[in-house]
Amino acid sequence: MNWTWFHQLGSPKSFYALTSQWLPWLVTVMVISMTAALVWALLYIPPDYQQGYTTRILVIHVAVAGTSLAFFPLMAVAGTITLVWRIKLADMVARNAATLGAWFSFVTLATGSLWGSVMWGTWWEWTDARLVSMLFQFFLLLAVIALRSAMDDNDKAAKACALLSIVGCINVVIIKYSVEWWNVLHQPNSPVGMSNSGANGPEFWLPTLLMVVAVYLFLTVSLILSTRNEILHRERKAQWVRELLAAS
Amino acid sequence: MAPVTTGIAGTGSAFMATLKRDLLIASKRKNDMLNPFMFFLIVASLFPIAVTREPQQLTDISAGVLWIAALLASLLAMDSLYRSDFEDGSLALLLLCPQPLYFMVLAKNLSHWLVSGLPVVLVSPLIAYMLKLPAESYLPLFLSLLVGTPVLSLLGSIGVALTVGLGSRGLILAVITLPMTVPVLIFGTLAVQEPRFGADLAGYLAILGAQLLAAIALAPLASAAALRISVN
Repeated sequence: MNWTWFHQLGSPKSFYALTSQWLPWLVTVMVISMTAALVWALLYIPPDYQQGYTTRILVIHVAVAGTSLAFFPLMAVAGTITLVWRIKLADMVARNAATLGAWFSFVTLATGSLWGSVMWGTWWEWTDARLVSMLFQFFLLLAVIALRSAMDDNDKAAKACALLSIVGCINVVIIKYSVEWWNVLHQPNSPVGMSNSGANGPEFWLPTLLMVVAVYLFLTVSLILSTRNEILHRERKAQWVRELLAAS
Repeated sequence: MAPVTTGIAGTGSAFMATLKRDLLIASKRKNDMLNPFMFFLIVASLFPIAVTREPQQLTDISAGVLWIAALLASLLAMDSLYRSDFEDGSLALLLLCPQPLYFMVLAKNLSHWLVSGLPVVLVSPLIAYMLKLPAESYLPLFLSLLVGTPVLSLLGSIGVALTVGLGSRGLILAVITLPMTVPVLIFGTLAVQEPRFGADLAGYLAILGAQLLAAIALAPLASAAALRISVN
């Protein structure tokens, strides 16, 4: 098997060049799908017979929540690449993924609370397993960021955060199931069953699907842009970066 | 010719040597043994003062208070697990040993738990009495702490190993470790609370035991990798 592409993608310079070609396309598709999904979701979804217009919050919430689950696996894979192949690019991606993941988790919690404040009459509910496990995913992502900022040595921080990401990835899964069992064992039920109450037809799940695609594209574009920034910063003494900056 | 292998101890004897050494060091530093114990005692007695003096309300919160006090005591004790070894260089020597680091880390964790975790477990029924935990919950509390606190030590060890070289590590250690202890806390407190209402204690202990076995199998690997990152 030919692994040249892997090493090529792993070099910051060729990653930068490659993403320069991809970015215009990605951004275009992202902007179109995001605009379409937002307009569709926020203006055209018919009011639910029980929940009224609040289902429109859910379109964003579901998409962001689903996407935020991708961050720990992403960071664990990047961390493995950092530890095994010592590819610097993987760490740059992991570093920005942690920050982005924390934001995604925060937006998930915020939109969920907004929806809950209307539908459940409370901003926070400990009896819902998803809220609690999302909260602890948020905490674990903040822990990875905190560890990174506590370490001065870039190389050491990369490896330490890689390891913590792998441990955290396993842990998030254990926490998720523990919190679910906890609710089953300890509490009768959520005050209001949330599952499926909004997703009752194509007029709801089609814009949600589009929104999921748009949010994943948004994640990809943000990750690429912030990684490119990081490349320029870390490689600022390299010849090609200087030439690039002189040319622009 | 004599066999070349003489002089290299087997993994088992290296494990025992590390265990003995750490226990010996701990026995020379009585305060390290006493402090987690004292911390547990003091934190647990702060709750009635801050929250309530009503026996019924104390009964309601006692299981959670005891578990959180034990969790914090274990966390605060963790810092001494690798620090002095890191400072005097013996940790670097440990990493150079030909025996698998997994067993060395396991031995260090075990001795640390024996010294700082076990006293807390042993004294817990007494504090439980002060906090008005119902008498039938003493055994569940004791057993759940007995199975659960080693998991806390093993998880904390990862955090300590990652941060051992840092200047200020008290809070960062807590930030890293505390979210990971949620599953232990959930099933530990359930094991104390639920049997009173007719649930089967064995089921909760089995889940805690599963966590302990998983932690024994995996956590020292992560700790060992973290030590190799921190010490070089």
